[in-house]
Order: sequence, then C-alpha cells, then structure tokens
Amino acid sequence: MNTILKLLSSKWMGIISTVAWILAYFIARGILENDQLSEGLRLVVALVPIIPFALFLMSVLAGIRELDELQRRVHLEALAIAFPLTMLLLMSLGLVELITPLPPDDWSYRHVWQFLPVFYFLGLAFTWRRYQ
Amino acid sequence: MKNRLKVLRAERDWSQAELADRLNVSRQTINAIETEKYDPSLPLAFQIAELFEKRIEEIFLPEKRK
Repeated sequence: MNTILKLLSSKWMGIISTVAWILAYFIARGILENDQLSEGLRLVVALVPIIPFALFLMSVLAGIRELDELQRRVHLEALAIAFPLTMLLLMSLGLVELITPLPPDDWSYRHVWQFLPVFYFLGLAFTWRRYQ
Repeated sequence: MKNRLKVLRAERDWSQAELADRLNVSRQTINAIETEKYDPSLPLAFQIAELFEKRIEEIFLPEKRK
C-alpha cells in the first residue's frame, strides 16, 4: 500500500497523469467535433478522459497526504480562494446572460472550469507569500 | 505565538533544512514557524519539544494578553 501511495504521489506520476488527462481531453474534443461517429461511440469518447482524470485525482490525493501541515493549510486556503472566485464568475455570467445572450463559443459555462486551476494557482501564490 | 526555535536551532548549528528533515516537514514550514507567521499544531509542537529535549512552554511563548 505504501509503495502504491509513494508511486502515486511521485512527481513524475503527477506530471504524467496531468499530461495524459489534458491530451485525452483535447483528443476527445477533436474527435467529438467530427460528426461522422455514431452517438454511442461519441458518448464513449466523451467519457474516456475520466480514466486519466481518475489517475490524476489519485495522484493529487496521494500528493496531499505527503504534505506537511503548513503545506496542507496553504493548499486549503488556495482552494478557499479559487472556489468562491469560480462561483463568482459563474454567477456573473448567469446574471449577464439575463441581460444579453452571451456567445457560447467565448463565454459558455463549459469554459468556466478552466478558470478554476488559474484561480487556484493564483490563490497558491498569494497564500504562500503570507507564510514566507 | 512567539518561539525560540531559531535560537535552539542555532545552538545546535542546524540549518533549517536539517531541522526540517529531523521533523519530517518542509523547510518552508520551519521558516514560517521561526518567523512567527505560522503556529505549529500541538503534535508538531510536541515533536519539536521532544527533539530539543525541552518542554513546549520553554520553546513556545504565548502572546501577552492585551
């Protein structure tokens, strides 16, 4: 069990699973933009990125367990910044959409998730500064 | 909370990294404790006290109440 935990929490596993997840997402997206596949196959392709994501998630959780108490606090505070900021973005998009329809290619809700890691890393940088 | 960690570490001629290794925490955590930007948890405070063979209250000094 410890060996698995160490393997999952290793830096390389984190990098490999992140790259695999991002690649799987863009490959799936590229395939789904092609209408020639049957709906069943398209559904399978849409769900394939879940597999590398699961690996990514396990690697993150194993990594968190390896952190010391201050590092965990910093990550928690970064999440506490990123989560409400993402909600704020969603809320603002929702309210603006009540006034004017937003172009889905630029402002659709499906783009919002990409801001979560951006806000998270901003939160991480901000929080680390407090403890240095 | 005030603490004497930096003094105790200097007495033993340990670097922050060396102390961090002994306590199984990161160097940043040692730095944050020494600069009093972070108060360690009770288990870590006990671990520090045990390492320096002192009582917790000999290392960590509560802020005076206003």
